[in-house]
Amino acid sequence: MIYGLILNILLWFGFYLIISLSLNMEYGYGGIPNFGKALSVLVGAIVAGGVVTRILIYIYHIKIGIGGFSTATSAVSNEVTTLIAHNPLLGLALFLLTLILAIIIGCIAGAIFILPSARLKEDYLAITLLAIAETFTMICYYNQSIIGGYYGVSVPDFLAFIHTNRGVVFTGIVLLIALITFIFFERLMNTPYGRLLRAMRENEDVIRVYGRDLMKVRVMTMAVGSGIAAIVGVLLSYYTLRVQANSFMITGRTLWTFYPFLIILLGGASNNKGTAVGTIIFVTVMEVIDFYKTNIVSFLHLPVEAVWLEYILFGIMMLLILYYKPEGILPEKPIITPAIKKAYETKKVSKKGVREEY
Amino acid sequence: MLGMDVLTGALIYSNLLVLLAVGLTLAYITTAVPNFAQGSFAVVGSYTALTVYRLFHLHPYVSLPLAFFAGGLVGLASYMLVLKPLIKRGANIVTLMIATLALDLILLGLRGIYAGYLGKITGSPCEMFMFTYLDFQILGLPAILVVSTLVIVITFSVLFTLLYKTKFGVALRASMENPDLAEIMGVNVEYTRMFAWFLSGALAAMAGCLLPFKQEIVPSTAEIIIVSIFAASIVGGLNNIYGALIGGYIVGLSESLVTYWLSTVIGAGVLVYGKVIALTMIIVTLLVAPQGIISIEWRKIKKIKRWCS
Repeated sequence: MIYGLILNILLWFGFYLIISLSLNMEYGYGGIPNFGKALSVLVGAIVAGGVVTRILIYIYHIKIGIGGFSTATSAVSNEVTTLIAHNPLLGLALFLLTLILAIIIGCIAGAIFILPSARLKEDYLAITLLAIAETFTMICYYNQSIIGGYYGVSVPDFLAFIHTNRGVVFTGIVLLIALITFIFFERLMNTPYGRLLRAMRENEDVIRVYGRDLMKVRVMTMAVGSGIAAIVGVLLSYYTLRVQANSFMITGRTLWTFYPFLIILLGGASNNKGTAVGTIIFVTVMEVIDFYKTNIVSFLHLPVEAVWLEYILFGIMMLLILYYKPEGILPEKPIITPAIKKAYETKKVSKKGVREEY
Repeated sequence: MLGMDVLTGALIYSNLLVLLAVGLTLAYITTAVPNFAQGSFAVVGSYTALTVYRLFHLHPYVSLPLAFFAGGLVGLASYMLVLKPLIKRGANIVTLMIATLALDLILLGLRGIYAGYLGKITGSPCEMFMFTYLDFQILGLPAILVVSTLVIVITFSVLFTLLYKTKFGVALRASMENPDLAEIMGVNVEYTRMFAWFLSGALAAMAGCLLPFKQEIVPSTAEIIIVSIFAASIVGGLNNIYGALIGGYIVGLSESLVTYWLSTVIGAGVLVYGKVIALTMIIVTLLVAPQGIISIEWRKIKKIKRWCS
């Protein structure tokens, strides 16, 4: 029992670390309030459930019969899963192809989604991104030809060659990808581009003075952030082996927009280590609630589902963080460029001094 | 042919959207934060009406005043407990927006618990409901059209009298235009904000009380309707109450009528995509006239046209 809980915590830690790191780049460093973050996860799910399955249907000559696209995916998933059971390389190729496609399509989608509002103030930016995400989710829900709408689609199991402990192997893969993402963002945020992002957050005019195009930087940031976040959509689809627009329609904004914001504000915005700390705390709380939900409900004598209590708890938690500790557990640190490092060493500037100047 | 029921449906929806957009705009003008929980304020009104109907068998129209006060209290509490402390600490606009997202989530959770509780008391589920079967006809028109239009007329005449004929209104408008200057002149900006949030919640809840006559209330109603509310406010300029009135009708009518027209051309399948129209209107407004329809100087456009020809 406890073993399952720990495995779940690790798995969801991986999912949430990837998405929170990408949101941390957009919001924490770049100051883009991406209230449509859930959209990039949906894009990843569409690539796994709507694009790659179509390619497979084409390759294996599956006929789309009366049942429509949704039923055809079940047939193709069954066939490909049996093939993978004997041929692990096929599974690996399928997984990598989906990942790469998701990153590319996620990048393009992210760049397009911010285009209408890239020049605008933060409030308009947030409203537009949220509106685009909600509308797009709704289209996927009603239009059954994209990812099967309410009925959903099946995806093949790329780990079909593993007969025992599939969950453990899958969690390992997710954690590995999360680690790579962490290193990627740590490196990226220490380049001139990372510093440009911080400058944009602090003062948009400054980066204009230095000859940078605000719109270009924002579009690029959203492209990278959405590309990485699309990975989560792929991993999630391959974990559950289903893609359902239904689940995005009801909980998408909470799970993939609000919770990542909660994580980075809890851990400390614009600090990747803080994001990791925030993720582990959040995921542990979430999974423990999920684990003991029947006990909690019977303890409270309420005719309710635990998920509503979870929403209230996390909503209040967010408000408390915003009020009492807006800088998070691990606050942002000054950038250590070679010049500042030298200044530290010669003790011309105290650590506090650098921070205030910056 | 444009059927009568399509047109009345569009008008009812637009009336409700105007109420919601005016509330959102009032809160934005006074506190400079777009309230992402506006949809949940509406749901407060829907459940007030449902509670009164299930427990006391009173028609939902009767519970409009109650919905007004219930929504108003929720709006006021949201400002006093959530936004005011943050504003006092000098929180920036993104922080305030995230706070309203958190508020929306809390209200969503409370809705779930309340619906479960009400369902247990009354013995019938309350997750989804409609009032369409309760509606009647007034002079050959659906009562909901008459009632929602009356609500709009009363709301705007009271609002107009209050803003332009009373001393409080002058102070209110002053603190909307320039809060710092108003404060110097002895106006308590805090009161105007409290008033705006009370009214914002109250108007939204009235719309929510009438919404079940038009569409089914489901757990995700608040999330679905928020796109249209923002569209109406943004088309109207986000900082003008009359803009919200015009924007509400533009977005409401085009959401219903354009999708209806498209359905006659393409097929009935497009009827569910009304929100795409709302989103398109947000994007077009932001690209063409970011300050909203109020800011367009029609005389100048005419002049340019004349000059071009």
